[in-house]
Amino acid sequence: MDDLATYAENTWCPGCGNFGILNAFKKAVRRLETAGVKRQDIAITAGIGCHAKIFDYLNLSGFYSIHGRSMATAQGMKLANPRMKVIAFAGDGDAYGEGIAHMVFAAKRNADITVIVHNNGTYGLTTGQYTPTSVKGFRGPSTPQGSVEDPFNPLALMLSAGATFVARGYPVRLDHLSDLFARAILHEGFSVVDVLQPCVTFNNTYQRYNESVTELEVVPEAFEDSMAAARRTDHLLIGVLRHVSSSPYHRELLGDVVPADTRASAARRRKVIADLFG
Amino acid sequence: MKDPRHFTFLVGGEAGHGVRTAGTIAGDYFGELGRYVFQMDDYQSLIRGGHNFAAVSSATHPIFSQYAKADLVVALDARSVELHREHLCPEGVLVYNIDALKEGVADCIGLPLSELAKGLSHADLRLGVGSIAVLAAATGMNRAALADFIGRKYVRDSENNVAYALSVYDVAVERLGSQWQLGKGDAPPTMLTGNEAIGIGAYAGGLDMYFAYPMTPASSVLHFLAAHASELGITVVHPESEIAVMNMAIGAASVGARTAVGSSGGGVALMEEAMSLAGMSETPVLCILSSRPGPSTGVPTYTAQGDLGFALNQGHGEFPRIVASPGTVEEAYRLAAELLSLSWAFQSPSILLTEKHLSESRMTVSIPSELPSGPSPAIDDSEGEYGRYADSENGISPMRFAPSAATIKWTSYEHDGNGITTEDPAWISLMQEKRRRKRESVIAYLRAHACTNRFGESGPVVVTYGSTTMSVREALSVSGLEARVVQPVYLEPFPEWDFEDLAGEEVVVVEQSCDAQLATLLRRRTSVKVVASVLQYDGRPFDPEELAVRLKEVL
Repeated sequence: MDDLATYAENTWCPGCGNFGILNAFKKAVRRLETAGVKRQDIAITAGIGCHAKIFDYLNLSGFYSIHGRSMATAQGMKLANPRMKVIAFAGDGDAYGEGIAHMVFAAKRNADITVIVHNNGTYGLTTGQYTPTSVKGFRGPSTPQGSVEDPFNPLALMLSAGATFVARGYPVRLDHLSDLFARAILHEGFSVVDVLQPCVTFNNTYQRYNESVTELEVVPEAFEDSMAAARRTDHLLIGVLRHVSSSPYHRELLGDVVPADTRASAARRRKVIADLFG
Repeated sequence: MKDPRHFTFLVGGEAGHGVRTAGTIAGDYFGELGRYVFQMDDYQSLIRGGHNFAAVSSATHPIFSQYAKADLVVALDARSVELHREHLCPEGVLVYNIDALKEGVADCIGLPLSELAKGLSHADLRLGVGSIAVLAAATGMNRAALADFIGRKYVRDSENNVAYALSVYDVAVERLGSQWQLGKGDAPPTMLTGNEAIGIGAYAGGLDMYFAYPMTPASSVLHFLAAHASELGITVVHPESEIAVMNMAIGAASVGARTAVGSSGGGVALMEEAMSLAGMSETPVLCILSSRPGPSTGVPTYTAQGDLGFALNQGHGEFPRIVASPGTVEEAYRLAAELLSLSWAFQSPSILLTEKHLSESRMTVSIPSELPSGPSPAIDDSEGEYGRYADSENGISPMRFAPSAATIKWTSYEHDGNGITTEDPAWISLMQEKRRRKRESVIAYLRAHACTNRFGESGPVVVTYGSTTMSVREALSVSGLEARVVQPVYLEPFPEWDFEDLAGEEVVVVEQSCDAQLATLLRRRTSVKVVASVLQYDGRPFDPEELAVRLKEVL
């Protein structure tokens, strides 16, 4: 029996790229467990959309948040209990549209959370509108003549914002993706894995990705090289584009304090108040 | 020598003249005489220039408002002379900065306040110190006591401040020496602003983390808690937006930290989607909503009660909300603690609704040595089977926090007992009813506790709430008018039971709303007969004497 599964019925379309993400993630969790991470110390959050159903399919604790906010929920959880490893699942609409401020600021402050972006270039659950990463000319119900906007390059954006771990993965390369997840979760600081996720119903990119996805062998050391890798268009490079070490936000803010565990006692509160007003 | 029922000191000037600090230090001055103090800052949304004033009223008995008519006005600039000349008591005195005016002002006392500060660094900022020296001279403090007082209160560059204060004192004493001999009282020594009381009250109620984005007039809760975070042992976070604030606070609460957030109307509007998330996910969080005149940006540094309906109806969908509004700074302390406890006991968002007038006014308070008591949350920290939303009779599912061997799923979706998404009509109904029963549990708790204050034994009924309660109490006190004041502290669930004995009675409603929102609420939720509304919606708090005149007309 798969003890990482729940009784929730899976309703992703057959062939959906989300299956690969789910399986790669479960594999990463098992690998983390063999590396000494306790399963109960892993918590997940999700936004709203097809990606977010993963929350119900994983037998892990956490918070099924609202659209665009899974990164904010995750940061709150991490701050209250920094001993936990918190992973925020998000769609491209969540991460790069509705909740882009949380992405940029989580990267800026090096919040120690992992964001896994199911980037399928369309709003699947709301029937296929264009998203911040859709190609120009994308036809959806809100842009029947084709979108007139250029897409974001999300990895270049995250690099600019100061992300200390930036990776891109592809669910068809499942072991590779699973490895990226595990490394991202073990990274101390902000990590983002942008997953090229084909949507079989509204944006089937399997063929395009199969032809252009190339594994990056070595993590670039210089920021400019990371940026160049993110911007390559002849090949879509998958792998870790940036990995640098920097003190995480919770340590800067809290030191060793764990707010959820080391709550000030009633006696301390009484004394502090008496001292302030005595 | 004069010793009026209450004594009001008003200092006015530009931003950058040290007016707000002078107001606070004048409050301390009266406090050291054992007098009860009410200090109100009137300032504009700017950093330099414009017009600011602080009105500080004090008495030997408890006092609940500043007075518009001052006994002593110190005008640091020309505009203050113009604006506050009309605000003098019959025997009041206006002292002005002669260096800021081209010519003398009849019946007023000009002193060279700028000239005496010449040569000192930050000369303009010292004018406020001069106003305290004038106050000291007028109320009989001796020279040595003033030097000691200024040295203690203006600690930065205190030597020059003392020298300047004494030079002002020497010229002031000649012109208005000891006109007043103010009675000493036995007031408790502590003075707090509403926002300080709210912050420390939430702490008394168990606060672990405070999340906020700056917005006047709620920002000083953030500043106060941030300044004291390490001695309190709490964490204060200022993230990128109010949306992040509320969602982070909810995330933190879901792993066991007691959290609060705070803002004014615009910021709370941004939090509103997540307020509904707190309702669905049954996450406890306290939200402090300090109102200013709206709509939209409105008038940032002034007061209003226009957000009552907004607070009562926060968040889309149907779920229990708890809303209460304190009528004094002391009550704000107790209520912040109580609301945080209620949020946790009933796993629901609560809102402490207040206004600039309470948030930023400072008054004498007595903080009890025991922490306020409140209901305890239902926590299941066993190792057994667990469902986050397990059905229960009172609608409350005990909380357990990650990390745990059990899977704990909080969710924004409608869900089954384990927090797994559902569209099953039976589960939808069951969960809607569970949340409904939780609201009934809140009501059962409130019914057993005091939710409404009453002041006065006889006379017609005046209903009011929030900071306006203080204005009404002071208006009755100063005028000698007899009335029974009824102040619902809890506004949602509304304590209808507290109004049953008033069924059919004619009541007058006093509030700072143009649409008379409290009157509308009373008509909907009680059987009292609202016969008149006394409203003010110009951003300024009521003046007790003016309010007394208006009450006399309708009572």
